[in-house]
Amino acid sequence: MGTVVTIDLYGEGQLDERELVRSVDAAASVLHDADEVFSTWKPQSPLSRLRRGELSMSEVPAMILDVLEECRTARRLSRGWFDPWSMPGGIDPTGLVKGWAAQRALDPLREQGLSGALVNAAGDIASFGGPAHGEPFRLGVVTPADPNRLACIVESPGAVATSGTYERGDHLVNPFTGVATATASATVTGPELGLADALATALAVAGPPGLEFVKAIKGYEGLVVETSERFHASDGFPMMECFLKRPRS
Amino acid sequence: MKRSALILTGTVVGLVGLLGYRAMSPSLPTFVATPTSSSSSSTTAPRATTTTTAAPPPKNSTTTTTPARGSTSPQVPPTTTPPPTTTRPPATTTTMAPAPAASRSATGASVNYIYGVLSVEVTASGSKISKVKIGSINDGGNYRSESIDQMAIPQLEQQALSVQSANIQGVSGASYTSAGFRQSLQSALSKLGL
Repeated sequence: MGTVVTIDLYGEGQLDERELVRSVDAAASVLHDADEVFSTWKPQSPLSRLRRGELSMSEVPAMILDVLEECRTARRLSRGWFDPWSMPGGIDPTGLVKGWAAQRALDPLREQGLSGALVNAAGDIASFGGPAHGEPFRLGVVTPADPNRLACIVESPGAVATSGTYERGDHLVNPFTGVATATASATVTGPELGLADALATALAVAGPPGLEFVKAIKGYEGLVVETSERFHASDGFPMMECFLKRPRS
Repeated sequence: MKRSALILTGTVVGLVGLLGYRAMSPSLPTFVATPTSSSSSSTTAPRATTTTTAAPPPKNSTTTTTPARGSTSPQVPPTTTPPPTTTRPPATTTTMAPAPAASRSATGASVNYIYGVLSVEVTASGSKISKVKIGSINDGGNYRSESIDQMAIPQLEQQALSVQSANIQGVSGASYTSAGFRQSLQSALSKLGL
């Protein structure tokens, strides 16, 4: 996946540090395992072999079947705007896998008596709890035109994913045209980062009209920020503070 | 007021091998653990009581209100008399209190990031971070890395500051170099005792 993940643990009182270190190791293992299976950069990863037709669906690890099932769900819920099957170069679930893996990496951290933990996979963030008990995580979202600034601060409901062109170049492909495109950056919040990640990718490509499909999904909310800084958000988007110059339209 | 502390941070770079974690020293004001804050407040409390007990002598108040005149030689001899010396320490502690506000800086450890090596330099006044910048970076002239650095590093510098000012715990939409940047940032903060 070629990305950077940071894991932050928040807690108070007496905590077993060795146990915590072990849980971070376990979280990292989840990420490494996912990378071994899903890397499109490693020619011998099961996904790469599936893409080349060297493995059939009955031969791939169960992890791939799980992810492809989630990809089908995301494709349906995004009304086709997220479609790993229309990518140039064969099936590519990358838009969902990063979030999916980060979400799973959170699991070993849950039973440690922490007030909260964050797994930040290059800007897609899975979390539980908060910096203190009863307090939510506050996460900044950068503006697409000027990544030096924050567009807003959101209260994390567990998953916050942002997609756009500003970070990694034109990596978003319009599934209907096959052309790399993004109208702006899009942020999706919800309970689960795999789906949020896929929806953010879809929403960045679809633009403001894409908020319709996000709104229809229970527990998920969306924000589209245009390069002009005009922004569009679903009614329930958990925005705590907004720094954008142009008003909501 | 916040009792919680960022106690551990782990970094997985490129999802291919490196996991670096370190116990965090309290890095930002919001991360200050209760034991240290309570102990520091208890140590400041006695000082406060000594200054109030020292306050009654009228001479003490006049010397503190006239610091410029205090530099003149005529007022130095009285310090040799026992009563004034006991009243002086509070006066010196109050003048020392603003001293930590002077800005100081430290460069964090050089750390590997996905395309090379970087270090972060932090300037702080008191317990507040005033500036964060790249102390050094070597990406081996990697073209792709260069374009990412140019875009990501100013972004990360800004984020380090806005994370503090906006009281946030993470940034959605961050970038490649963030783990290395963050690691070096943390070691710089530790050096500054933040």
